[in-house]
Amino acid sequence: MAPDLTTDVLVIGAGPSGSMAAKWAAKAGARVLMIEKRQEIGSPVRCGEGMSKDWLADVGIKPGRWINVEVEGARIYSPSEKVFEINEKHAGNEVGYVVERDEFDKQLAIDAANEGVEIRLKTAATGILKENGSVVGAKVKQFGTTFDVRAKVTIAADGFESQVGRWAGLPTNIALRDMDTCLQYRMTNVDCDVRYCDFYLGKVAPGGYVWIFPKAEGLANVGIGVQVSQIKGMAEARSYLDRWIDHHPAYAKGKKIDMVGGGVSIAPPMKQTVLDGFMVLGDAARMIDPLTGGGIANGCIAGKICGTVAAEAVHSGDASKKVLDKYEKGWRVRLEEKLYRNWLAKEKLTTLSDETFDKIVDALLGVKLEKLNVHNILKAVHEKYPEVTKEFEAFL
Amino acid sequence: MPSKKSLHIESSGQLCIYCGACVGICPLNCIYLDETRITFDEKICTRCEICVRACPVGAIEIG
Repeated sequence: MAPDLTTDVLVIGAGPSGSMAAKWAAKAGARVLMIEKRQEIGSPVRCGEGMSKDWLADVGIKPGRWINVEVEGARIYSPSEKVFEINEKHAGNEVGYVVERDEFDKQLAIDAANEGVEIRLKTAATGILKENGSVVGAKVKQFGTTFDVRAKVTIAADGFESQVGRWAGLPTNIALRDMDTCLQYRMTNVDCDVRYCDFYLGKVAPGGYVWIFPKAEGLANVGIGVQVSQIKGMAEARSYLDRWIDHHPAYAKGKKIDMVGGGVSIAPPMKQTVLDGFMVLGDAARMIDPLTGGGIANGCIAGKICGTVAAEAVHSGDASKKVLDKYEKGWRVRLEEKLYRNWLAKEKLTTLSDETFDKIVDALLGVKLEKLNVHNILKAVHEKYPEVTKEFEAFL
Repeated sequence: MPSKKSLHIESSGQLCIYCGACVGICPLNCIYLDETRITFDEKICTRCEICVRACPVGAIEIG
Protein backbone atom coordinates (compact mmCIF):
# COMPACT_ATOMS: atom_id res chain seq x y z
CA MET A 1 0.00 0.00 0.00
CA ALA A 2 1.49 3.32 -1.10
CA PRO A 3 1.38 6.23 1.36
CA ASP A 4 -1.46 8.70 0.87
CA LEU A 5 -0.73 12.04 -0.78
CA THR A 6 -1.88 15.55 -0.05
CA THR A 7 -1.99 18.48 -2.44
CA ASP A 8 -3.80 21.78 -2.86
CA VAL A 9 -5.45 20.97 -6.17
CA LEU A 10 -6.07 17.55 -7.71
CA VAL A 11 -6.88 17.52 -11.42
CA ILE A 12 -8.31 14.26 -12.75
CA GLY A 13 -7.58 13.90 -16.47
CA ALA A 14 -4.75 15.43 -18.51
CA GLY A 15 -6.67 16.46 -21.61
CA PRO A 16 -6.66 20.08 -22.76
CA SER A 17 -9.08 21.41 -20.14
CA GLY A 18 -7.38 19.51 -17.30
CA SER A 19 -3.94 20.78 -18.30
CA MET A 20 -5.32 24.32 -18.58
CA ALA A 21 -6.86 24.22 -15.11
CA ALA A 22 -3.68 22.70 -13.68
CA LYS A 23 -1.47 25.28 -15.33
CA TRP A 24 -3.47 28.31 -14.22
CA ALA A 25 -3.84 27.01 -10.67
CA ALA A 26 -0.09 26.43 -10.43
CA LYS A 27 0.69 29.78 -12.01
CA ALA A 28 -1.35 31.38 -9.23
CA GLY A 29 0.74 29.62 -6.61
CA ALA A 30 -1.20 26.45 -5.78
CA ARG A 31 0.39 23.01 -5.43
CA VAL A 32 -1.16 20.94 -8.20
CA LEU A 33 -1.21 17.21 -8.94
CA MET A 34 -2.68 16.14 -12.29
CA ILE A 35 -3.40 12.45 -12.82
CA GLU A 36 -3.95 10.67 -16.13
CA LYS A 37 -5.19 7.10 -16.41
CA ARG A 38 -3.51 6.47 -19.75
CA GLN A 39 0.17 5.77 -20.24
CA GLU A 40 0.52 8.53 -22.80
CA ILE A 41 -1.06 11.98 -22.65
CA GLY A 42 -3.03 12.73 -25.81
CA SER A 43 -3.04 9.17 -27.11
CA PRO A 44 -5.03 7.45 -28.46
CA VAL A 45 -6.57 10.47 -30.16
CA ARG A 46 -10.34 10.74 -29.95
CA CYS A 47 -11.00 13.80 -32.02
CA GLY A 48 -11.66 15.12 -35.52
CA GLU A 49 -8.71 17.47 -34.91
CA GLY A 50 -10.32 20.65 -36.24
CA MET A 51 -10.39 23.70 -33.99
CA SER A 52 -11.04 27.42 -34.11
CA LYS A 53 -8.13 29.66 -33.24
CA ASP A 54 -9.22 33.10 -32.03
CA TRP A 55 -9.35 32.01 -28.37
CA LEU A 56 -5.85 30.55 -28.07
CA ALA A 57 -3.93 33.69 -27.09
CA ASP A 58 -6.51 34.49 -24.42
CA VAL A 59 -5.77 31.31 -22.49
CA GLY A 60 -2.02 31.48 -23.09
CA ILE A 61 -1.56 28.81 -25.78
CA LYS A 62 1.13 29.60 -28.34
CA PRO A 63 1.00 28.15 -31.87
CA GLY A 64 3.39 25.23 -32.13
CA ARG A 65 4.30 22.16 -34.10
CA TRP A 66 0.91 20.65 -33.24
CA ILE A 67 -0.60 22.64 -36.13
CA ASN A 68 -0.95 20.58 -39.33
CA VAL A 69 -2.79 23.04 -41.51
CA GLU A 70 -4.25 26.52 -41.19
CA VAL A 71 -7.45 26.47 -43.23
CA GLU A 72 -9.02 29.44 -45.00
CA GLY A 73 -12.60 28.44 -44.49
CA ALA A 74 -15.27 25.80 -44.21
CA ARG A 75 -17.57 24.39 -46.88
CA ILE A 76 -21.05 23.22 -45.98
CA TYR A 77 -22.50 20.65 -48.40
CA SER A 78 -26.27 20.25 -48.58
CA PRO A 79 -27.72 16.78 -49.31
CA SER A 80 -27.77 17.54 -53.05
CA GLU A 81 -24.23 18.85 -52.56
CA LYS A 82 -24.79 22.52 -53.10
CA VAL A 83 -21.87 24.20 -51.38
CA PHE A 84 -21.98 27.14 -49.01
CA GLU A 85 -18.58 28.54 -48.22
CA ILE A 86 -17.78 30.12 -44.89
CA ASN A 87 -14.58 32.11 -44.93
CA GLU A 88 -12.54 33.79 -42.29
CA LYS A 89 -14.05 37.20 -42.98
CA HIS A 90 -17.48 36.40 -41.64
CA ALA A 91 -16.71 33.46 -39.42
CA GLY A 92 -13.30 34.24 -37.95
CA ASN A 93 -13.88 32.33 -34.77
CA GLU A 94 -15.17 29.16 -36.41
CA VAL A 95 -12.26 28.83 -38.82
CA GLY A 96 -8.85 27.77 -37.78
CA TYR A 97 -6.48 24.86 -37.59
CA VAL A 98 -6.39 21.17 -38.24
CA VAL A 99 -4.13 19.84 -35.53
CA GLU A 100 -2.16 16.88 -34.28
CA ARG A 101 -4.24 16.35 -31.15
CA ASP A 102 -1.75 14.14 -29.33
CA GLU A 103 0.97 16.77 -29.83
CA PHE A 104 -1.43 19.51 -28.73
CA ASP A 105 -2.39 17.69 -25.53
CA LYS A 106 1.27 17.00 -24.74
CA GLN A 107 2.21 20.65 -25.29
CA LEU A 108 -0.50 21.76 -22.86
CA ALA A 109 0.75 19.24 -20.31
CA ILE A 110 4.31 20.56 -20.81
CA ASP A 111 3.02 24.11 -20.26
CA ALA A 112 1.42 22.90 -17.02
CA ALA A 113 4.58 21.07 -15.94
CA ASN A 114 6.60 24.23 -16.59
CA GLU A 115 4.44 26.01 -14.02
CA GLY A 116 5.25 23.34 -11.47
CA VAL A 117 2.36 20.91 -11.89
CA GLU A 118 3.17 17.34 -10.84
CA ILE A 119 1.91 14.77 -13.35
CA ARG A 120 1.30 11.07 -12.75
CA LEU A 121 0.54 8.70 -15.62
CA LYS A 122 -1.23 5.34 -15.38
CA THR A 123 -3.10 6.82 -12.45
CA ALA A 124 -6.88 6.50 -12.48
CA ALA A 125 -9.43 7.87 -10.05
CA THR A 126 -11.50 5.00 -8.66
CA GLY A 127 -13.66 6.92 -6.22
CA ILE A 128 -14.23 10.24 -4.56
CA LEU A 129 -13.35 11.14 -0.95
CA LYS A 130 -16.04 13.00 0.95
CA GLU A 131 -16.05 14.42 4.47
CA ASN A 132 -19.03 16.23 6.00
CA GLY A 133 -20.55 16.59 2.54
CA SER A 134 -17.43 18.16 1.00
CA VAL A 135 -15.23 16.54 -1.61
CA VAL A 136 -11.74 16.25 -0.10
CA GLY A 137 -9.90 14.36 -2.83
CA ALA A 138 -10.08 11.05 -4.64
CA LYS A 139 -9.18 7.42 -4.29
CA VAL A 140 -6.70 6.61 -7.03
CA LYS A 141 -4.95 3.59 -8.47
CA GLN A 142 -1.45 3.88 -9.88
CA PHE A 143 0.33 0.86 -11.38
CA GLY A 144 -2.17 -1.34 -9.57
CA THR A 145 -1.67 0.25 -6.15
CA THR A 146 -4.57 2.07 -4.52
CA PHE A 147 -4.14 5.11 -2.30
CA ASP A 148 -5.90 8.35 -1.33
CA VAL A 149 -5.04 11.78 -2.68
CA ARG A 150 -6.33 14.44 -0.31
CA ALA A 151 -6.89 17.83 -1.92
CA LYS A 152 -8.43 21.16 -0.96
CA VAL A 153 -9.95 21.36 -4.43
CA THR A 154 -10.70 18.43 -6.75
CA ILE A 155 -11.27 19.07 -10.45
CA ALA A 156 -12.90 16.42 -12.66
CA ALA A 157 -11.70 16.82 -16.24
CA ASP A 158 -12.16 13.17 -17.13
CA GLY A 159 -13.69 13.62 -20.54
CA PHE A 160 -16.80 12.42 -22.29
CA GLU A 161 -16.94 9.14 -20.36
CA SER A 162 -16.67 11.02 -17.06
CA GLN A 163 -17.62 9.10 -13.98
CA VAL A 164 -16.01 11.31 -11.37
CA GLY A 165 -18.74 13.95 -11.65
CA ARG A 166 -21.41 11.34 -11.07
CA TRP A 167 -19.51 9.83 -8.15
CA ALA A 168 -19.32 13.27 -6.56
CA GLY A 169 -23.07 13.72 -6.97
CA LEU A 170 -23.51 15.86 -10.06
CA PRO A 171 -25.92 14.50 -12.67
CA THR A 172 -23.77 14.44 -15.81
CA ASN A 173 -25.99 11.87 -17.55
CA ILE A 174 -27.02 12.71 -21.09
CA ALA A 175 -30.11 11.88 -23.13
CA LEU A 176 -29.82 9.81 -26.30
CA ARG A 177 -30.68 12.78 -28.46
CA ASP A 178 -27.89 14.71 -26.75
CA MET A 179 -25.11 12.41 -27.90
CA ASP A 180 -23.50 11.71 -31.24
CA THR A 181 -21.57 8.51 -31.76
CA CYS A 182 -18.57 9.16 -33.97
CA LEU A 183 -16.14 7.27 -36.15
CA GLN A 184 -13.30 8.60 -38.23
CA TYR A 185 -10.64 7.26 -40.56
CA ARG A 186 -7.41 9.02 -41.29
CA MET A 187 -7.06 8.46 -45.03
CA THR A 188 -4.16 8.88 -47.37
CA ASN A 189 -4.21 9.15 -51.18
CA VAL A 190 -7.42 11.19 -51.10
CA ASP A 191 -8.28 14.33 -53.09
CA CYS A 192 -8.81 16.75 -50.20
CA ASP A 193 -8.45 20.53 -50.35
CA VAL A 194 -6.10 21.78 -47.65
CA ARG A 195 -7.76 25.19 -47.76
CA TYR A 196 -11.06 23.97 -46.33
CA CYS A 197 -12.73 21.91 -43.67
CA ASP A 198 -15.75 20.26 -45.31
CA PHE A 199 -19.08 19.36 -43.70
CA TYR A 200 -21.80 17.21 -45.32
CA LEU A 201 -25.31 17.52 -43.87
CA GLY A 202 -28.52 15.53 -44.09
CA LYS A 203 -29.49 11.88 -44.12
CA VAL A 204 -25.91 10.86 -44.89
CA ALA A 205 -25.39 11.42 -41.15
CA PRO A 206 -28.70 11.61 -39.25
CA GLY A 207 -28.48 14.16 -36.47
CA GLY A 208 -24.84 14.88 -37.21
CA TYR A 209 -22.58 15.39 -40.20
CA VAL A 210 -19.73 13.92 -42.21
CA TRP A 211 -16.50 15.88 -41.92
CA ILE A 212 -13.33 16.12 -43.96
CA PHE A 213 -10.49 17.82 -42.09
CA PRO A 214 -7.35 17.99 -44.24
CA LYS A 215 -4.06 17.29 -42.49
CA ALA A 216 -1.77 17.65 -45.52
CA GLU A 217 -1.97 17.28 -49.30
CA GLY A 218 -3.64 13.92 -49.90
CA LEU A 219 -4.14 13.22 -46.19
CA ALA A 220 -7.37 13.90 -44.30
CA ASN A 221 -9.52 12.92 -41.35
CA VAL A 222 -12.77 11.58 -42.78
CA GLY A 223 -15.32 11.16 -40.04
CA ILE A 224 -18.96 11.01 -39.06
CA GLY A 225 -21.16 11.80 -36.09
CA VAL A 226 -24.65 10.27 -35.84
CA GLN A 227 -27.23 11.13 -33.18
CA VAL A 228 -27.73 8.08 -30.95
CA SER A 229 -31.52 8.60 -30.81
CA GLN A 230 -31.65 8.13 -34.59
CA ILE A 231 -29.78 4.81 -34.49
CA LYS A 232 -31.62 1.51 -34.49
CA GLY A 233 -29.05 -1.22 -34.92
CA MET A 234 -25.42 -2.05 -34.33
CA ALA A 235 -22.37 -0.31 -35.81
CA GLU A 236 -24.46 2.26 -37.66
CA ALA A 237 -21.84 5.01 -37.39
CA ARG A 238 -19.45 2.75 -39.30
CA SER A 239 -22.06 1.75 -41.89
CA TYR A 240 -23.02 5.36 -42.58
CA LEU A 241 -19.39 6.44 -42.90
CA ASP A 242 -18.46 3.53 -45.17
CA ARG A 243 -21.49 4.23 -47.35
CA TRP A 244 -20.58 7.90 -47.64
CA ILE A 245 -17.00 7.08 -48.61
CA ASP A 246 -18.20 4.53 -51.21
CA HIS A 247 -20.26 7.27 -52.87
CA HIS A 248 -17.41 9.79 -53.04
CA PRO A 249 -14.68 8.68 -55.47
CA ALA A 250 -12.23 11.31 -54.17
CA TYR A 251 -12.22 9.40 -50.87
CA ALA A 252 -13.21 5.88 -51.96
CA LYS A 253 -9.81 5.57 -53.65
CA GLY A 254 -8.03 6.46 -50.41
CA LYS A 255 -6.41 4.14 -47.93
CA LYS A 256 -7.09 4.09 -44.21
CA ILE A 257 -4.15 4.48 -41.88
CA ASP A 258 -5.92 5.15 -38.59
CA MET A 259 -9.32 4.72 -37.01
CA VAL A 260 -10.76 6.82 -34.21
CA GLY A 261 -14.07 6.56 -32.38
CA GLY A 262 -15.86 8.23 -29.55
CA GLY A 263 -18.88 9.86 -28.06
CA VAL A 264 -19.62 13.57 -28.30
CA SER A 265 -22.20 15.25 -26.11
CA ILE A 266 -24.51 17.66 -27.89
CA ALA A 267 -26.32 18.54 -24.69
CA PRO A 268 -27.62 21.73 -23.12
CA PRO A 269 -25.34 23.32 -20.51
CA MET A 270 -25.35 21.56 -17.14
CA LYS A 271 -27.32 23.22 -14.37
CA GLN A 272 -24.58 22.82 -11.79
CA THR A 273 -20.85 22.20 -12.12
CA VAL A 274 -19.65 22.95 -8.58
CA LEU A 275 -19.92 21.28 -5.17
CA ASP A 276 -18.09 21.95 -1.92
CA GLY A 277 -14.43 21.26 -2.78
CA PHE A 278 -15.25 20.11 -6.31
CA MET A 279 -15.54 21.37 -9.89
CA VAL A 280 -16.30 19.52 -13.12
CA LEU A 281 -14.83 20.79 -16.37
CA GLY A 282 -14.65 20.37 -20.15
CA ASP A 283 -16.30 17.41 -21.93
CA ALA A 284 -17.03 15.95 -18.48
CA ALA A 285 -19.17 19.06 -17.81
CA ARG A 286 -20.84 18.75 -21.23
CA MET A 287 -19.24 21.97 -22.46
CA ILE A 288 -19.01 20.79 -26.07
CA ASP A 289 -20.71 23.09 -28.58
CA PRO A 290 -23.91 21.14 -29.43
CA LEU A 291 -23.96 22.48 -32.98
CA THR A 292 -20.39 21.86 -34.09
CA GLY A 293 -19.33 19.14 -31.66
CA GLY A 294 -16.20 21.15 -30.90
CA GLY A 295 -15.03 20.96 -27.30
CA ILE A 296 -11.41 22.09 -27.11
CA ALA A 297 -11.94 25.85 -27.09
CA ASN A 298 -14.72 25.75 -24.50
CA GLY A 299 -12.80 23.30 -22.33
CA CYS A 300 -9.68 25.48 -22.36
CA ILE A 301 -11.56 28.73 -21.74
CA ALA A 302 -13.40 27.18 -18.80
CA GLY A 303 -10.17 25.46 -17.69
CA LYS A 304 -8.37 28.76 -17.21
CA ILE A 305 -11.24 30.10 -15.10
CA CYS A 306 -11.41 26.83 -13.17
CA GLY A 307 -7.69 26.80 -12.34
CA THR A 308 -7.67 30.45 -11.34
CA VAL A 309 -10.64 29.99 -9.00
CA ALA A 310 -9.11 26.81 -7.54
CA ALA A 311 -5.97 28.76 -6.58
CA GLU A 312 -8.06 31.54 -5.03
CA ALA A 313 -9.91 28.97 -2.94
CA VAL A 314 -6.62 27.47 -1.79
CA HIS A 315 -5.18 30.86 -0.81
CA SER A 316 -8.32 31.93 1.05
CA GLY A 317 -8.52 28.60 2.87
CA ASP A 318 -12.14 28.23 1.79
CA ALA A 319 -13.05 25.80 -0.99
CA SER A 320 -16.75 25.82 -0.28
CA LYS A 321 -19.27 25.86 -3.06
CA LYS A 322 -19.83 29.54 -2.34
CA VAL A 323 -16.23 30.38 -3.28
CA LEU A 324 -16.04 27.94 -6.21
CA ASP A 325 -19.26 29.43 -7.59
CA LYS A 326 -16.99 32.07 -9.11
CA TYR A 327 -16.00 29.38 -11.63
CA GLU A 328 -19.62 28.49 -12.27
CA LYS A 329 -20.48 32.13 -12.93
CA GLY A 330 -17.29 32.72 -14.92
CA TRP A 331 -17.75 29.95 -17.46
CA ARG A 332 -21.44 30.71 -17.81
CA VAL A 333 -20.75 34.34 -18.66
CA ARG A 334 -18.32 33.24 -21.38
CA LEU A 335 -20.07 30.17 -22.79
CA GLU A 336 -23.59 29.49 -21.55
CA GLU A 337 -25.69 31.65 -23.85
CA LYS A 338 -24.07 30.29 -26.99
CA LEU A 339 -24.17 26.72 -25.71
CA TYR A 340 -27.88 26.99 -25.01
CA ARG A 341 -28.72 28.73 -28.28
CA ASN A 342 -26.72 26.21 -30.28
CA TRP A 343 -28.37 23.35 -28.42
CA LEU A 344 -31.79 24.72 -29.40
CA ALA A 345 -30.60 25.07 -32.99
CA LYS A 346 -29.30 21.48 -32.89
CA GLU A 347 -32.66 20.25 -31.60
CA LYS A 348 -34.29 21.73 -34.71
CA LEU A 349 -31.60 20.89 -37.24
CA THR A 350 -31.60 17.21 -36.29
CA THR A 351 -35.26 16.97 -37.33
CA LEU A 352 -34.90 18.56 -40.79
CA SER A 353 -35.45 16.70 -44.04
CA ASP A 354 -32.89 16.64 -46.82
CA GLU A 355 -35.19 18.87 -48.82
CA THR A 356 -35.15 21.51 -46.10
CA PHE A 357 -31.36 21.36 -45.76
CA ASP A 358 -31.12 21.93 -49.50
CA LYS A 359 -33.37 24.98 -49.24
CA ILE A 360 -31.35 26.42 -46.37
CA VAL A 361 -28.04 26.08 -48.20
CA ASP A 362 -29.63 27.34 -51.41
CA ALA A 363 -30.94 30.43 -49.63
CA LEU A 364 -27.48 31.20 -48.28
CA LEU A 365 -25.82 31.07 -51.69
CA GLY A 366 -25.20 34.54 -53.03
CA VAL A 367 -26.17 36.22 -49.77
CA LYS A 368 -23.57 38.42 -48.15
CA LEU A 369 -23.55 37.62 -44.46
CA GLU A 370 -21.72 40.16 -42.31
CA LYS A 371 -21.29 37.76 -39.45
CA LEU A 372 -22.15 34.11 -39.43
CA ASN A 373 -24.48 33.12 -36.63
CA VAL A 374 -27.75 31.28 -36.24
CA HIS A 375 -29.75 34.51 -36.30
CA ASN A 376 -28.22 35.84 -39.54
CA ILE A 377 -28.53 32.48 -41.27
CA LEU A 378 -32.22 32.25 -40.39
CA LYS A 379 -32.82 35.80 -41.60
CA ALA A 380 -31.32 34.95 -44.97
CA VAL A 381 -33.34 31.74 -45.25
CA HIS A 382 -36.51 33.57 -44.18
CA GLU A 383 -36.25 35.95 -47.12
CA LYS A 384 -36.18 33.16 -49.69
CA TYR A 385 -38.08 30.31 -48.02
CA PRO A 386 -40.31 31.76 -45.27
CA GLU A 387 -42.04 28.40 -44.80
CA VAL A 388 -38.73 26.81 -43.74
CA THR A 389 -38.13 29.27 -40.93
CA LYS A 390 -41.63 28.99 -39.47
CA GLU A 391 -40.46 26.48 -36.90
CA PHE A 392 -37.50 28.65 -36.02
CA GLU A 393 -39.43 31.80 -35.16
CA ALA A 394 -38.15 31.70 -31.59
CA PHE A 395 -34.66 32.45 -32.95
CA LEU A 396 -35.79 35.43 -35.04
CA MET B 1 -38.74 -12.95 -12.48
CA PRO B 2 -37.50 -13.54 -16.02
CA SER B 3 -33.76 -13.91 -16.25
CA LYS B 4 -31.79 -11.06 -17.77
CA LYS B 5 -30.61 -11.27 -21.36
CA SER B 6 -26.90 -11.60 -21.77
CA LEU B 7 -24.77 -8.60 -22.64
CA HIS B 8 -21.45 -9.12 -24.35
CA ILE B 9 -18.83 -6.45 -24.90
CA GLU B 10 -16.21 -7.61 -27.37
CA SER B 11 -13.27 -5.75 -25.90
CA SER B 12 -10.43 -8.09 -26.83
CA GLY B 13 -9.59 -5.70 -29.66
CA GLN B 14 -11.23 -7.57 -32.53
CA LEU B 15 -14.05 -5.03 -32.67
CA CYS B 16 -13.72 -2.63 -29.73
CA ILE B 17 -11.63 0.50 -30.29
CA TYR B 18 -11.78 1.55 -26.60
CA CYS B 19 -13.41 4.87 -27.45
CA GLY B 20 -15.55 5.12 -24.32
CA ALA B 21 -18.81 5.98 -26.10
CA CYS B 22 -20.65 3.24 -24.17
CA VAL B 23 -19.14 4.39 -20.88
CA GLY B 24 -20.34 7.96 -21.32
CA ILE B 25 -23.88 7.13 -22.37
CA CYS B 26 -24.61 4.36 -19.80
CA PRO B 27 -27.46 5.80 -17.72
CA LEU B 28 -26.48 3.64 -14.75
CA ASN B 29 -22.77 4.42 -14.85
CA CYS B 30 -21.96 0.72 -14.85
CA ILE B 31 -19.54 0.36 -17.79
CA TYR B 32 -15.85 0.90 -17.08
CA LEU B 33 -12.96 1.62 -19.44
CA ASP B 34 -9.45 0.78 -18.29
CA GLU B 35 -7.27 1.73 -21.29
CA THR B 36 -7.71 -1.48 -23.25
CA ARG B 37 -10.30 -3.31 -21.24
CA ILE B 38 -14.01 -2.63 -20.95
CA THR B 39 -16.03 -4.20 -18.18
CA PHE B 40 -19.56 -3.72 -16.92
CA ASP B 41 -21.34 -4.47 -13.68
CA GLU B 42 -23.55 -7.45 -14.39
CA LYS B 43 -25.69 -6.76 -11.32
CA ILE B 44 -26.42 -3.09 -12.06
CA CYS B 45 -26.88 -3.40 -15.84
CA THR B 46 -30.55 -3.61 -16.86
CA ARG B 47 -29.80 -4.52 -20.52
CA CYS B 48 -31.37 -1.25 -21.67
CA GLU B 49 -29.35 -1.64 -24.90
CA ILE B 50 -28.44 2.04 -25.11
CA CYS B 51 -24.73 1.18 -25.26
CA VAL B 52 -25.42 -1.17 -28.19
CA ARG B 53 -26.70 1.78 -30.19
CA ALA B 54 -23.99 4.15 -29.00
CA CYS B 55 -21.11 1.84 -29.99
CA PRO B 56 -19.81 3.12 -33.34
CA VAL B 57 -18.32 -0.21 -34.38
CA GLY B 58 -20.85 -2.80 -33.15
CA ALA B 59 -18.76 -4.33 -30.39
CA ILE B 60 -21.65 -4.72 -27.96
CA GLU B 61 -24.28 -7.41 -28.38
CA ILE B 62 -27.32 -8.39 -26.38
CA GLY B 63 -28.73 -11.87 -26.74
